[in-house]
Amino acid sequence: MINEEKIIYTACSNDCGGGCIFKAHVKDGKIIRIETDNDNEPQYRACVRGRAWRQRIYAPDRLKHPLKRVGERGSGKFENISWDEALDTVANELLKVREKYGPASTIVLHAIGDDNNIHTHAPFWRLFNLAGGFTGTWAFFSFEQAMFSEIATFGMPMVRNSSSALLDSKMIILWGCNPAVTRHETKATWYMKQAKEAGTKIVCIDPKYTRSAAILADKWIPIKPTTDTAMLLAMAYVMIDEDLYDHEFIEKYTYGFDKFSDYVMGEEEGVPKNPEWAEKITSVKASDIEELAREYASTKPAALISGISPSRSAYGEQYTRATITLSAMTGNIGRKGGEVSSRTYPGGKYQNAPFLFGLGAPFPLPEEKNPVMERGPFQSHLIPDAKRIAKGTVGINTHQVADAILKGKAGGYPADYKAIFIPCGNYVNQDCNTNKTVKAFKSVDFIVTLDHFLTPSAQYSDIVLPVASLFERNEIMSTVNGGPYWAFAPKMIEPVGESKTHLEIAELLAKKMGITNFNDKTEDELNEASYNTIRPVLREFPDYEIFKQQGILKIDVEEPYIAFKEQIEKNLPFFTPSKKIEIYSQRIAELNNPEIPPIPKYIEAWESLSDPKAKQYPFQLLTSHSIRRSHSQFDNIPWLRELVKQEIFINASDAESRGIKTGDMVRVFNDRGEMIIPARVSERIMSGVVDLPQGAWFNPDKDGIDRGGCANVLTLDRTSPAGGLVTNCSLVQIEKSQEGGTTK
Amino acid sequence: MTQYGFYIDQTRCIGCFTCAVACKDWHDIDAGPAKWIRIKEIEKGTFPDLYLAFLPIPCFHCVDPACVKACPTNAIIKRESDGIVIVNQDLCLGKSECGSKCLKVCPWDSPQFGSLENAKMEKCNLCIDRIENGKQTICVEACPVYALDVAPIEELIKKYETFNEAEGFKSSEKIQPSVVFKPKI
Repeated sequence: MINEEKIIYTACSNDCGGGCIFKAHVKDGKIIRIETDNDNEPQYRACVRGRAWRQRIYAPDRLKHPLKRVGERGSGKFENISWDEALDTVANELLKVREKYGPASTIVLHAIGDDNNIHTHAPFWRLFNLAGGFTGTWAFFSFEQAMFSEIATFGMPMVRNSSSALLDSKMIILWGCNPAVTRHETKATWYMKQAKEAGTKIVCIDPKYTRSAAILADKWIPIKPTTDTAMLLAMAYVMIDEDLYDHEFIEKYTYGFDKFSDYVMGEEEGVPKNPEWAEKITSVKASDIEELAREYASTKPAALISGISPSRSAYGEQYTRATITLSAMTGNIGRKGGEVSSRTYPGGKYQNAPFLFGLGAPFPLPEEKNPVMERGPFQSHLIPDAKRIAKGTVGINTHQVADAILKGKAGGYPADYKAIFIPCGNYVNQDCNTNKTVKAFKSVDFIVTLDHFLTPSAQYSDIVLPVASLFERNEIMSTVNGGPYWAFAPKMIEPVGESKTHLEIAELLAKKMGITNFNDKTEDELNEASYNTIRPVLREFPDYEIFKQQGILKIDVEEPYIAFKEQIEKNLPFFTPSKKIEIYSQRIAELNNPEIPPIPKYIEAWESLSDPKAKQYPFQLLTSHSIRRSHSQFDNIPWLRELVKQEIFINASDAESRGIKTGDMVRVFNDRGEMIIPARVSERIMSGVVDLPQGAWFNPDKDGIDRGGCANVLTLDRTSPAGGLVTNCSLVQIEKSQEGGTTK
Repeated sequence: MTQYGFYIDQTRCIGCFTCAVACKDWHDIDAGPAKWIRIKEIEKGTFPDLYLAFLPIPCFHCVDPACVKACPTNAIIKRESDGIVIVNQDLCLGKSECGSKCLKVCPWDSPQFGSLENAKMEKCNLCIDRIENGKQTICVEACPVYALDVAPIEELIKKYETFNEAEGFKSSEKIQPSVVFKPKI
């Protein structure tokens, strides 16, 4: 029999937002090569992580059988068991926990995993709801503060222009944003580069001289982490003081600017938020702030792109609200070439809100009522509701899971938590304060993890179930951030080893748990049902069978999507109580919380360089994205590992005073943890700031010292007032390791 | 004779390694020392006045390749039809037996050797399997910022405003590498 090489389209499932196009070459039941989009423009070309997928599918350490833990949690000792035994154990242990402690005692702890809609956490939400409920988590890792701020200010999150509209920008300010590495959206860097080549001025504001700064920026302004809001306020001061702002826009479309203006000019508190005030806080020269404010106010249209990284700070809500305020003051909202704010997700009917969070079509089976927790179409936490959070009806905050497990009801949490079910994600590694998470994981009765690899989270599990990858099951995918395009991501090879899909696992587990009404549809019928829910919105879509054959459906849009274009051009209402862009947010005012003031204010962050703690731990830790990982995914893939080392970036003068040279092993520590990793001495980072890219796998030695370089060993598990992750608020000390040895 | 070569827009390269991994996938090369395309990082200046550039380094398929002359067994061949320099591994003695003479004479270290003892030389073959079928090389099609192009060098010179040198790359009049640049200044 001759097996010819076939080329099959699919789309990358990595959780970076890109969802780029693949053309997989399949022969004799194996993927032998992967090309990316080389069809007509716009091409959605995959990044380096995407190009390494083949090594991930066939990695020698890929899980091939269900595993049962046989050593202590974290010892890495497992043995292969049958699916039957694994699922019997899972069903029995979960039922045992449920009978003893109630349904809320089981936490379904999910991250995004792959950007899917069927093979994800969704089937397990339904399953556990049918079985009596579970405790879920709320708060996005990436942009809780940003989304909160967008909802407060516009009445809705996920608002920004198509990135191709940046081709019309005369000026771009990239604030704490490094798309050359993070991607977030397939073509964003390319559009910005094209704009630059056509003469657009680009300014990068970042504590690090990033790849994006190197390739895009005409000017780089380094800024002390967590102080961004102070600089933004000072820019507003210059615009008000010199009367450079767009009065007409402010009057027509915004609410409460006068209160903001009073605060900025010092009429509220007696302290004018002028560039000299900001220089002391931010370390950015007053003259640089003035110059940028003037240029931004006078160059139209101009896009202030507020990266979501700076919002992951103690009071990150203020940063996002301040960037939106500046976009309004310069009249750049609803305008091609301008920008709204954080670019969390794109606007437009093609990708986002109708489909939950842009991750594709909705899971086609009803979630069913959860008896212990309520959820809404948008997660109900987006304007925090203290009462519902206290009662646990919206679940527990994602970043307080370890605390909740360790303290339980006695500590004021709604339940005692005894079982953890991880359908996707690597929580031990990816949420703050790894050592505390480990302690919590060691304390519960039962943990199950579904994954491709024995990740740090899987290491602490009792049962680990191998799941099928992107290439081993059928799924409908859409790009989260770019495009617009949709993909049918077909099963093109058999699951590796004994791997099963998320759906199969949920179905088998339902049987074991005695749930009879979980699902009677095939995977294909579910995909078709998903597809049919989006077709009414997207009339351009062909029949399901044609879509399946076509594989990739690029949607031809004549004009880039411009968020709030109608509101501005036709004076339609915004979705806020005042029907305007709320610089003064009435809903925030109702919260009556001085940590979330109704107008954007600068509030000094805890665990920042101005904290007294900085005497003991004098470095602000950044946990940027590594070019060779998608969060913690791919950390074990050799093609990517060999590209860059996991090392901590330290400024040259800081390194010199500590006798540290590039390649030296250094000890990085604070009260929460300790690691020994190589140093990278660089001029490309500010003094007083160190950067350790997040996602490297936690690898503690016998003394509990991490050798893997997992940034969260050092991060703080406190949340911002809106419940967001605060990875930019961790102080550390760094010293040359006693081990001394220099690595290559 | 047609001479194929590279165009590298150094002002666009973000040093993202996508070309390098796409190359390893297409040519099925394991992780390890054999890298048909490498990325050089050039960092200059002191905080906050910095310069950062990247330079992808494949084989430049020189007009008068030093490696061809240095090879004791004539294992390296310059193709008449397109100027692509390829290696016949059956003839190559291996890195330790011959002492990697090709690598020693190449100014850009393009000849590569895997981790096996006495590994045979391998290097960028300009994706002849693709070029011969009218397709573009895998690295060119991989680049997310369209910083690379491969074509007959005369065409590249006509198509772009080009320079013979770039940051981190010094040309050689003697062996004439088939590469032109838009350098990052």
